Amino acid sequence: MKRYWWLGLIFIGALILPLVVGEFWVHVAIEILILGLFAVSFNMIFGYMGQISFGHAAYYGVGAYATGMLMVKASVPLPICLVASMITAGICALIFGYFCVRLTGIYFAILTLAFGQLMYYIIFQWYSFTGGDDGLQGIVPPDFLFGATAYYYFTFCIVAAALIAMWYISRSPFGYTMRAIRDNADRTRFVGINVRKYMLINFVVAAMFAGLAGGLLGPFNRSIAPDLCNWHQSGVPVFMAVIGGPLGFLGPMIGSVIYTFLMAFVTGITEYWPLVIGLIIIFVVLFMPGGVIGLAEERVKIFRSKRMAGGAEESTHTESP
Amino acid sequence: MSGEAILKVVRLNKSFGGLKATNDVDYEMTTRELSAIIGPNGAGKSTFFNLLTGYHKVDSGEVYYKGKDITNWPPHKIARLGIARAFQISNIYPALTTYENTRQAILTEQNRTLNFFTPAERLAKKETLELLEITGLSHHANMMAGNLSQGDKKRLELAIALGSKPQLVFLDEPTAGMSGEETRETMELVARLNKEMGLTILFTEHDMSVVFGYARRLTVLHQGTVIAEGTPEEVRANERAQKIYLGEEA
Repeated sequence: MKRYWWLGLIFIGALILPLVVGEFWVHVAIEILILGLFAVSFNMIFGYMGQISFGHAAYYGVGAYATGMLMVKASVPLPICLVASMITAGICALIFGYFCVRLTGIYFAILTLAFGQLMYYIIFQWYSFTGGDDGLQGIVPPDFLFGATAYYYFTFCIVAAALIAMWYISRSPFGYTMRAIRDNADRTRFVGINVRKYMLINFVVAAMFAGLAGGLLGPFNRSIAPDLCNWHQSGVPVFMAVIGGPLGFLGPMIGSVIYTFLMAFVTGITEYWPLVIGLIIIFVVLFMPGGVIGLAEERVKIFRSKRMAGGAEESTHTESP
Repeated sequence: MSGEAILKVVRLNKSFGGLKATNDVDYEMTTRELSAIIGPNGAGKSTFFNLLTGYHKVDSGEVYYKGKDITNWPPHKIARLGIARAFQISNIYPALTTYENTRQAILTEQNRTLNFFTPAERLAKKETLELLEITGLSHHANMMAGNLSQGDKKRLELAIALGSKPQLVFLDEPTAGMSGEETRETMELVARLNKEMGLTILFTEHDMSVVFGYARRLTVLHQGTVIAEGTPEEVRANERAQKIYLGEEA
């Protein structure tokens, strides 16, 4: 348990955050949480299954539309909407994923991208149902969640619960089976695993959490647009996972903190945000390929080995006075 | 010693392009047998294993396991019947520890891989440690499998195969890359698994001393065709086998 003291610090920090910063930064914090959940769910496919999806925004967008439309058109309570978002995103992922998991590598990536764009165009074109490119307005959270601070705490609880669930999944026999498939799919087959079936299950679970993240977005923004499904949006969790580090569970969340915070900060100064994030990505890929988590682990290792080397020196001193 | 046929292969054929890798092969194994397939490089030994375990689709012919037709079944279904294999080039999970590699096979056999919420480290502890002990890997339990020595990787190969509690095991050159001492240890283990745990084992091997020391029945494969079969003594006396294979060694 001692190893996790820093989690307690983050937890306390997150709790008192709205008390010490202004409303603008509370909004940024909500976005960090929502996009972080989206990125961690993406990393179930990228970091743990070893495949890259360029269409993960499809499930984020479907989740956003499920909650948004149920709230606006049927006045369904928010918690039920969020469950519906997960289920809807999961069903979409089941249909699209059935085809995607037949492929791996670049072909998997391209097919997820194609299905993502398909989803985007469906939402974009289907005016009568989705509102098309007008988007969907008037997604108002219930009264008790109306203020930024209240919605922040609500989002924090949901995201924390989702992260804990995904953390457990990552350490479960299922999670290790995904790592096994990532490392050596053929070997996993010969041990007795139906690799495609497991990849599909993982794809669906990841999409459900992306759907949950999307569901949280509408009541926060008060509106949603088809762009949520577009391939730009699918690139966001890729960037976050790469910046934070795909091999650590919280890597993508750290990526979200850096990405979202910087975006809020930089867009306040200049309109050249894409240029800034582009440079950051180039820097990370070239100089810290394990992301922030990878770098931190390396530092800890160097620190430990130095301490051990120091200890060894001391002992030789005492032995040979 | 011998029981009913556990494996029966009838007129198996497979070609790649114009090359006949497996040519009308008939083969049969009885329960608790310890046998070997020998033959020069490219004789079709690995292809034969790949056909039996579902990695390649057969062109024609049938494979029966305990009387059940398993021809062209997918690999994971064949594995679930109790047929395991270890690979010639070690085929492990390099980014998982030795312990995790072994546990993965055991958890699969125990049908626990759809468990989403119990931390894996709490499961199958006893079985995993036991298997690491048997295969002589206990001292490397927490090492990343990718960092193991060649010999230890081959042992891990064997541990993964045994983790699925098989009844029939195919070992493709189980001692490739091992030192003389390691080879002897590994083959002693294979013999023990056969004798004490009653596993039916079929292996391929380059080293003739290993083959003649441990296999009770030999099959000589050449260009995809079975050219001799029998006890080590019979094969040694077989002129064609001598000429094609053993002659090369001498």
